[in-house]
Amino acid sequence: MVLAPVLSPSPEAGPAEPSFERLVANLVGLFQQGVGEALDEHVFNGWALRVFRWQFQQNPAFRGYCLGRGVTPGTVRSWVDVPAVPTGAFKRLRLMSTEEGREPDAVFHTSGTSRTERRGEHCVASLRLYRSTLLPTFRVHLLPDGARLPVLALMPSPQDAPTSSLSYMIGAVSEAFGAEGGGWFATADGELQEEELRRAVEGAVDTGAPVLIAATAFALAYWLDGLARDDLRFALPEGSRVMETGGFKGRVRGVSRDDLYHGILARLGIPMNRVVNEYGMTEMLSQFYEPAISRFQDSDVGLEDRFHVGPPWVRTRILDPVSLAHVPDGEPGLLCHHDLANIGSVACLLTEDMGVAVADGFRLLGRIPGAEPRGCSLAIEELLEAAQAR
Amino acid sequence: MVTESFDGWAVPPGTLTDFVLAEDGGVRHPVLDAEAARGLLVALSAARENALLRDTVQERVRLLGRAGARFLDPEDPLRQEAEERLPATADISPEMARAVIEGMARDWTAERLAALLSAELSQPEALDLFVPQPGGGRARAFAPALSFHIGAGTVPGVSATSMLRGLLLGSATLVKPGVGDVVLPVLLARALAEEAPRLASAVAVLYWSGGSGEDTERVALETADLVVAYGGDATVRSLRDRLPVTTPLVAYHHRLSVALVGRSVLSQESLPGVASALARAVALFDQRGCVSPHAVLVEQGGDVGAGELTEALARELERLHRVLPPTHLAPSHASAVHQLRRTCELRRAAGENIELHTGPGASWTVVLESATKLEPSCLGRTVHVHSVVDALDVPDLLVPVGRHLQTVGVAGLGERVDEVAAALGKVGAVRICPLGDVPFPPPWWHHDGRGPLSVFLRWVDLEG
Repeated sequence: MVLAPVLSPSPEAGPAEPSFERLVANLVGLFQQGVGEALDEHVFNGWALRVFRWQFQQNPAFRGYCLGRGVTPGTVRSWVDVPAVPTGAFKRLRLMSTEEGREPDAVFHTSGTSRTERRGEHCVASLRLYRSTLLPTFRVHLLPDGARLPVLALMPSPQDAPTSSLSYMIGAVSEAFGAEGGGWFATADGELQEEELRRAVEGAVDTGAPVLIAATAFALAYWLDGLARDDLRFALPEGSRVMETGGFKGRVRGVSRDDLYHGILARLGIPMNRVVNEYGMTEMLSQFYEPAISRFQDSDVGLEDRFHVGPPWVRTRILDPVSLAHVPDGEPGLLCHHDLANIGSVACLLTEDMGVAVADGFRLLGRIPGAEPRGCSLAIEELLEAAQAR
Repeated sequence: MVTESFDGWAVPPGTLTDFVLAEDGGVRHPVLDAEAARGLLVALSAARENALLRDTVQERVRLLGRAGARFLDPEDPLRQEAEERLPATADISPEMARAVIEGMARDWTAERLAALLSAELSQPEALDLFVPQPGGGRARAFAPALSFHIGAGTVPGVSATSMLRGLLLGSATLVKPGVGDVVLPVLLARALAEEAPRLASAVAVLYWSGGSGEDTERVALETADLVVAYGGDATVRSLRDRLPVTTPLVAYHHRLSVALVGRSVLSQESLPGVASALARAVALFDQRGCVSPHAVLVEQGGDVGAGELTEALARELERLHRVLPPTHLAPSHASAVHQLRRTCELRRAAGENIELHTGPGASWTVVLESATKLEPSCLGRTVHVHSVVDALDVPDLLVPVGRHLQTVGVAGLGERVDEVAAALGKVGAVRICPLGDVPFPPPWWHHDGRGPLSVFLRWVDLEG
């Protein structure tokens, strides 16, 4: 296949949408209807087509991409026909879909797995919209009991890490649902402040007030190692809980998820059914959570039986890695998310994560195994690191 | 194609008696404890004198070549077994399996091994006795008593070639191939057992998977007099840490290759030949080889430009997709290909000067774009084409990958070839060759910059 030349902008875009602000206001209204109920297919589809029309109109690169694939708002009947944008594209392009000249509210960077990897950038046109998707989803999965808890964040504060979407998210959560006694327990360059953290945990144990710990799986594993080294054990008050993220690949640098969760129980006294994995990405404003607290609180659902669900305004398809066609139910494939909250950039994202559909969500199989070339041909990461080292 | 498991070992009779079998990636293999592993290595070393050193090196060449040549005969049962077994174990198509066997076994004949020997040693008999030295005195070359060869498994045949080098020099040889490269060394060892049973008593091929062979691996690393390793940078690093300080390690780490097309072959007349050689170099080994080009640098100023070469290359890759088909692509590779392709589409739509040609599914991809720095390919027959003003601009582009640079396939440089080759060598290239020769270096090539045999040898000077 050779791509057709890109046409000059003459969008067959249908009726123009009034403005980005107006669309945001409408979407915020939709999100306020709650996380509990799924959206009817026709409601989701109607919204997805509106979002597509908007992005087609406002984002020249995305429009050219769609035209190159012969797709216009005139040809798209269903949200599944919207061309998916690869998450890798955020490393090369600013993919904003707003009125020309509008500056983003924030620019978040992907973390990258190595210091030399090209970083991706997600320009977030509306932080209000970001908060309106992240807050209700967080609350339903971490705080379904309506508790207000001190948030112990094992990450740098949003002031120290202004390009981290995770720090922003936990900042928003602390502001909306937090209670006195929380804090940020990592420096700007990510170093964990174990001493301060220990004092905060001791404080919680003393007062008997439960806490919410928010951390990357990596930071947790590091902290638990430190606690084990110092032979420290705490029994955090009942009602304490953990949101961990990034450890969904099944392993966290040599620590299995099982060991991590057992470590949390042993060192902090928080049972597994109060530890929730969050799966999110910088390129996407909405998040997925394991409904460990929201649904499984009182049942013993093993780690291997857990799965992730998103809010009703996100739909996930599972695609064959080679053909990118839908896989039959129960078969593993690449996750392709359609997030209405991404109206300011691109809504339909092709990820490099593998998963399999279950219930109303998916089970993550992680970043695809061996995502680097094997054998004597050069692994990209090694090459870049070697290049950087010179 | 056969589907039942392959017996991934070949050892001299009586050296392995009591073992448990395990299976990994369609390969059955024995799991040894430390005692059994030690027993095997003692047996190999003990057999060496009678098996290898009783003959002259020329006699070993003859015997090894007789076994190796069997893989060039399509009627030979071992060759046929190789053809049947390679596709499933190496994850390549039957057509690719035939191309790989032919290309590899070409260098396993007595004639080619003899040529290798004389290219490496001005006096091959120095392996048998002390020979006079130009400056006076005499010297003799000693091979390691026991060499341990660890393969990567990426390209089938590589560990068989490594094994031949060891045996040729008179080293008792233990080969641990990677799972994708088990078939050829095992079958070659079987051919040896049939053609030269005495010689075969000093060689063992044994596959084990990560973890299951800890004991064997530890014992072999402790016992071997020299270790040859193919693999990723991390593998090599870990081996260095585990070896006794006195044991030499010949390490072939990650490598990357490119192609350079000069203006004198950029004509309508030469284009098909150039494109065909390029496409074959990309497609062979499904681009997993260290010799496989990641990028093609095309000089400006020819009658046809990089765009036409790109189109011709795309047509050839499509043709090879049929005659030298890939197997199913691993999800990780397919995903990387789609990420790349769609990102290119978006960049093009955003106004970047970039051209994309793609095959069905994720089968092959050619990207033409201007580049100020070289980016490695995500593989799976994915190649980047860049236009450069002059061939002499290419070495600068390659500086960042210099330490991993291996082959530069060239065409159309005419009389400038020495000058360009010198500049490429300066930044790290170790092999500059015609495009058509890229996939299969000759046996005597300076493998990653060093003599393939001399790297094994310890010289003993006899003065006075």
